[in-house]
Amino acid sequence: MGQVDLNFKPTVPVFDANVALGRRNDKRVRVDTVGGTLEAMDQAGIDRALVYSHHAFLWDAQDGNELLADMIQGERRLVPQYVCNPGFEDLRHFARQVAKEGVRSLRVSPIFHQYPFENWMLKQWLDWMTSEDLPVWIPVSYEAKGQKINMDPAPIHNTIKEHPRLKVVLSDVDYQNANWTLQLLRSLPNVHIDISKCIGIDGIVKLINGIGEERIIFGSRFPASPMAPQLYHLYRCGLSDTSLRSICSGNLDRILRRR
Amino acid sequence: MDAAGVDRACINCIFFGDHRICNDRVARFVSEYPDRFIGAAFVTPHYPEEAIQELERAFDVLQMKFLKLYAPYFYLPIDDPAYMPIFEWANDRGVVIMSHCSFDLEGGDTLTAPWRFDDLAERFSNIQWVLAHSGFSPAGEVRAIQVARAHPNIFLETATSRDAHGTIEHLVEGVGEDRVLYGSDMPIFDARQQVGRIVTSQISEEAKRKILGLNAIKLLGLET
Repeated sequence: MGQVDLNFKPTVPVFDANVALGRRNDKRVRVDTVGGTLEAMDQAGIDRALVYSHHAFLWDAQDGNELLADMIQGERRLVPQYVCNPGFEDLRHFARQVAKEGVRSLRVSPIFHQYPFENWMLKQWLDWMTSEDLPVWIPVSYEAKGQKINMDPAPIHNTIKEHPRLKVVLSDVDYQNANWTLQLLRSLPNVHIDISKCIGIDGIVKLINGIGEERIIFGSRFPASPMAPQLYHLYRCGLSDTSLRSICSGNLDRILRRR
Repeated sequence: MDAAGVDRACINCIFFGDHRICNDRVARFVSEYPDRFIGAAFVTPHYPEEAIQELERAFDVLQMKFLKLYAPYFYLPIDDPAYMPIFEWANDRGVVIMSHCSFDLEGGDTLTAPWRFDDLAERFSNIQWVLAHSGFSPAGEVRAIQVARAHPNIFLETATSRDAHGTIEHLVEGVGEDRVLYGSDMPIFDARQQVGRIVTSQISEEAKRKILGLNAIKLLGLET
């Protein structure tokens, strides 16, 4: 047997930046409850998770965000992330909800909510996020009805370029997006990446060497993916304890804090 | 492999229209690192007049340990009649065949959907079938388990980018820990992450050891 750790547990605090909660309309997921999510976190050695609503992401942002707030109330290990739909929602109403619930990060879903990721579409919302110092997660690959959909990186780049103070996190970046990811990150220093789908060979190491560890955050994409394997992968990349602490929780804590 | 703690790997080359180029390349790698690499043969069903001769060269001369087939590269479903001479030869020899196995709910019938192996495993019962990726998606995984349950000569290999929480546990629960094989799909995927899927799953340590190598050693008749 090679040098593998059959009983791996992380040794630094872990804050998962990419976890979805609740039921999906298009299929049944193996874990859709707060209890099940916490149990999986315990098994994987994960302390906290940034969670968004499946329903908000796939269907109705407002209903889904309310469901999320109802589901996680009182559970301090689950940090809520709201999904916004700039094509449908009223910004002032949404801003009030975000302030009321103390939400500190947002996620967009342009594929499921069916709007173009262009500055003429999003400018007002991205200006508001910048003014509130609210980071936004942009997933770049989607699994819809059993099909894989990749976002075009050009509109992402051109739009975010117009908002240099906005904190952005690219998520669900997989091996099919790897050809452009590093160049986009180098071009836009306000963009971070969660490594939930960064499973290509040496993908994590190439990212660290390319942009430094400060813009890289751990995420699992649970329950679409298991929580622990990517952590195990990260631990096998030869990183220092300081680097692991940054990627596993420190960078995300910093992104979520107001400047 | 060193970074992931992988001692040995089965390697294949399946992306040339000329299978002789593929098998020669694999043989060269194996000859350079005989302690680390195990060769898998490859033939294309588009050249049936060459296939059997090339199989005999691959197994008897180049010492390949099993046959790898990738129907999406051929654009021919895995149960197409063009493969039958290959399967008949493999059945006579009791060869292990690893085939890509993928299914998406909305993708409809794919070239390597799990149910295509139902008749194949029945008809060619002397072949040990390894379904690479175990259906690839959560929907494919369910169907791969169904077909493997019906046929004891079907094994399930784990490499995928689309597993859900609990996939490894589901495979073990579905077909038992003796018929699940670790695979990485290197160099597309990083072996550290794929090994991580096994070692962090909620199965026994004994099951992890079997999946990470002992089952493959037994199936391929390798020396430990």
